[in-house]
Amino acid sequence: MSKLTVAVIFGSRSTEHDISIVTAISSVIKPLILSAKYNVVPVYIDKQGRWYTHPKLADIALYSSGQVEAFITKLRPLALRMGGQLELISGSGPKPKKIIKVDVAFPATHGTHGEDGELMGLLEMANVPYVGCPLPAAAIAMDKALAKTLAIAEGILTSKYVWFYARDFRSDQAAILERIKDLNYPLFVKPVHLGSSIAISKVSTPKELVQAIEVAAHYDDKVLVEEAVNNLVEVTVPIIGNETPRAALVEQPLLNSSNFFDFETKYMSGGKKGKTSASGAQGYSKLPADLPPKILQLAEATAIKVYKTLGCAGIARVDLLIDTKTKMVYFNEVNPLPGSLYAHNWRQAGVSNVQLVEELVDLALLRAKANEQLTTAFSSNYLKQY
Amino acid sequence: MQIIVDNLAVKYELIGKGKTVVMLHGWGDNHTTFNLLAAYLSSQYQLLALDLPGFGSSQPPKSPWNLDNYANLIAAVISKLNLKPYAFIGHSNGGALVIRGLSLGNLKADRLVLIASAGIRNSQPTKRLLTKTIAKAGKATTFWLPREVRQHLRTKLYGTIGSDLLVVPELAATFKLTVSQDVQADAGQLTLPTLIINADHDPAIPLSDGLRFHNLISGSRFEVLNSTTHFIHQEQAEIVAKLILGFL
Repeated sequence: MSKLTVAVIFGSRSTEHDISIVTAISSVIKPLILSAKYNVVPVYIDKQGRWYTHPKLADIALYSSGQVEAFITKLRPLALRMGGQLELISGSGPKPKKIIKVDVAFPATHGTHGEDGELMGLLEMANVPYVGCPLPAAAIAMDKALAKTLAIAEGILTSKYVWFYARDFRSDQAAILERIKDLNYPLFVKPVHLGSSIAISKVSTPKELVQAIEVAAHYDDKVLVEEAVNNLVEVTVPIIGNETPRAALVEQPLLNSSNFFDFETKYMSGGKKGKTSASGAQGYSKLPADLPPKILQLAEATAIKVYKTLGCAGIARVDLLIDTKTKMVYFNEVNPLPGSLYAHNWRQAGVSNVQLVEELVDLALLRAKANEQLTTAFSSNYLKQY
Repeated sequence: MQIIVDNLAVKYELIGKGKTVVMLHGWGDNHTTFNLLAAYLSSQYQLLALDLPGFGSSQPPKSPWNLDNYANLIAAVISKLNLKPYAFIGHSNGGALVIRGLSLGNLKADRLVLIASAGIRNSQPTKRLLTKTIAKAGKATTFWLPREVRQHLRTKLYGTIGSDLLVVPELAATFKLTVSQDVQADAGQLTLPTLIINADHDPAIPLSDGLRFHNLISGSRFEVLNSTTHFIHQEQAEIVAKLILGFL
């Protein structure tokens, strides 16, 4: 039996371009190769949106050395052919064209032009099975306001919030502030579509609020203002599966709950010459979260409900906020493609990185097979009347 | 935190309580360069440290900027945050920047600390000539290579000869504008109490530059730290902090 060809797609026009490279190479390509079940094809989308493939694009050293831009000038950007399936047409210099038929696509993109549903739309149109959330779930997850609205409609608790368009704030600031005034400080202000914490602010006064909205509106056309949860423990729950999703461990990132951007905590990250240290949830988290079993169960159940409500499939990560006094669990947001697949968490839950990617490929194939059962076209005499 | 000033997102941190001290980093650096120093100062002063546009997490300027543009931006950030600086601390290019801003009058403070300050542009004529010659020779011999390869070689070359031109390649035009601004005349106009700290083994800023600023700024105090290089405030943070706290 011939091996399945899995195209791992990463990079793209996103502020999280570089994070995507690490996710793709360390957590997807390497374990797929180790499993020895697939032909693995790295597909790199550069910051201008050009697609390339070459075996060397699976080598992290190419990116860390800054050589990638020079390297891809030697390649011809890919052409895509969508004749009922996805084919990548590549070549370099005078060499003949090479055609790669993709059996499964494995998106490993983060943020805009990839994780947000755009790539999934392309793959749907090409009729190729793909790993991860389908287009609607990805698009909803990447709109924090829409995800909250949908969750509330299904009886899932979220902190109180207001969302608005940036243009409305610019044209009638007083009206927007009037809508926000019923919320209790401290408040979080977020651009609705961005995954990065760069433009997220925690504010305690109306003056800080206006500044924070200006910042969020600088990056996004939609802004979310929400109440902070008291006695906060923030947790995140990685989930995989289609119809019957299952969770890994409830993980507790160790953020400073009293001060979101804590200067002294950040002293660990260096400047031009300063000392640097590992950072990110993987380096600073409690796994599993240090919470009573009942709260852990409630968190897991809430996360699974959110996953199903948004129509997630394959893989996602659900972030929750827990008030440890009232023991209330609030939905915060969904990450439709967790950085590095949250493989560290799955490993602790007993699923190796190789098992994880194999299961994700299987889930993609199962979902494609289920979709084949749906009626998408049929013969009719509708046109005959014209 | 971030703030929007002149349609640019500027990253800043404001910590501590007391009189406000504004900390300005050098070229290619960011506000975290002052991390160690801030740990000593924040118990007595409110510290404002920001990433200058184009560095750290701040958005780059939309056109090439000179020191005046940067000084205007800092003044606008301070004004928007409703702060009244008691002192400025400038490292390297941050020193040149604050000297220019104070001289222009758009920055105001009661005290100034210059750490390995840049701003004297004619002190290393041999190095400048060598840089220019090598750059021209490199351009002439690599014109046939692809643009990306040429860019890579340029970055390596400038790094090897100790030039900051391509530390942030997209700010190369801004770099050229700022390093062409000599601030000796501006320094000569300053009358505020000033502490000047330089290192004896600084490959970027010679000790003679510190001495020159000392002679230009009347009543200034000049301190030389031994066995240290350009990043004095990181390499000898405790000693630098003691000097600053004693001075302020």
